[in-house]
Amino acid sequence: MFRFLKGFGLLTAAALGAAAPPALAAGDLLVAPTRVILDGSRGTEVVLNNIGSEPATYRISLEIKRMTAEGGLDEIAEENVTVAERAALDMIVFSPRRVTLPPNQPQVVRVGVRVPEGLPPGEYRAHMLFRSVPDAVPAEAVAAKSAGAGVSIALTPIYGITIPVIVRVGALGAEASIGEAWVSQGADGSAFNFDLSRTGGRSVYGDIEVTRPGVSEPLLVARGVAVYPEVGARKVSLRVPDELAAKLKGPVRIRYSEDREIGGGTIDEADRMVK
Amino acid sequence: MRKFGMKRALLGAAIAVLAMNASAAQAASATGTATAKILRQITLTKTSDLQYATIISGATPSTVTVSPAGAANCGAGLTCTGTTTAANFDIQGTNNAVVLVGGDPSVTLNGSLGGSMTSTLTYSATSVTLTNGPGTTGGSFQVGGTLSVGANQASGDYSGTFNVTANYQ
Repeated sequence: MFRFLKGFGLLTAAALGAAAPPALAAGDLLVAPTRVILDGSRGTEVVLNNIGSEPATYRISLEIKRMTAEGGLDEIAEENVTVAERAALDMIVFSPRRVTLPPNQPQVVRVGVRVPEGLPPGEYRAHMLFRSVPDAVPAEAVAAKSAGAGVSIALTPIYGITIPVIVRVGALGAEASIGEAWVSQGADGSAFNFDLSRTGGRSVYGDIEVTRPGVSEPLLVARGVAVYPEVGARKVSLRVPDELAAKLKGPVRIRYSEDREIGGGTIDEADRMVK
Repeated sequence: MRKFGMKRALLGAAIAVLAMNASAAQAASATGTATAKILRQITLTKTSDLQYATIISGATPSTVTVSPAGAANCGAGLTCTGTTTAANFDIQGTNNAVVLVGGDPSVTLNGSLGGSMTSTLTYSATSVTLTNGPGTTGGSFQVGGTLSVGANQASGDYSGTFNVTANYQ
């Protein structure tokens, strides 16, 4: 019931928003899968779907992002990329790069890789960005507006989704290890944090499960946590409700396991006393 | 809720169709083999825009702030009218998946009658853990900002665009 009311509230807000300045065409989107790994010459497909209520044009591009010690992904401008990052941008091929879709129309984006001869073994990665291209504001709509006494403001977000496209060349291994764990209290709420370090020639990726010894139900599950090769260690910071943060303090077992799709084997497991 | 369920169902159907196309040749030989591949997905939907509404500038520079929670603060010397909202984005996907979110730290707005303003942007979170449970699906994040309004800022309609992304690791 609460959810319904909340939904209603949002709808009302959207309706009010639409009534004030004319909102631009929607660019809501769906992308599947959420991660692509290419090893060898075989390509794959990614599905993009327009889940908005109006036709929208989407642009598909590659960009370089680097993981930070804090666990974020920083966008790197094309002129600042390393040789290996440049190689990733050059060897990943995909099509189409721009597509206009009516509502609920999926589009397959073909992704392939052309590994140049003599490329050193390693993991090469770019992030594929799918985002809507906003429509140009019709000139008459601007002209029709009278110059009132005030200042009215229209901010249009151009929003999109990125997924990693990873190319592995050669036999690569990696290990990860779980460090200290603690609960923090920030301005935007509580978080469960721990350090995660990595060694080897490739990234590690998997799911986190935090359990209390003797209790079967996990306290916390977080899926899809990576440590990329550009960092030796990262902080994993997961926002949790205050009551869960209080519960997490004390002895816990943290398990970092591989993706369920490739078996879910343990990467590392550790007993920690959460402060 | 129902809307999202419907969208998911439609995507499922779309993927099934794609899979069927791939095996269309085999399908002609009458032994009913059904293949369907389920892919992990992520959706991003905008449910509200960042709106500062209408501002009447004063004799001294000032600011208008809309917090990510949507609370507005009209600076000294300014008159603010209309409903302000923070931008809201909903993310749906695999249960418990961690999605990193972020975007431009600021945006420049250009006026229809000349002049410009800048707004800093504030994000409610840097990562969102999706939770599909009773009463909740996925996650959301909000974008607020602080708009710097000049002294006697030229009137007109100011517009600008900023980039926001939801990133899988």
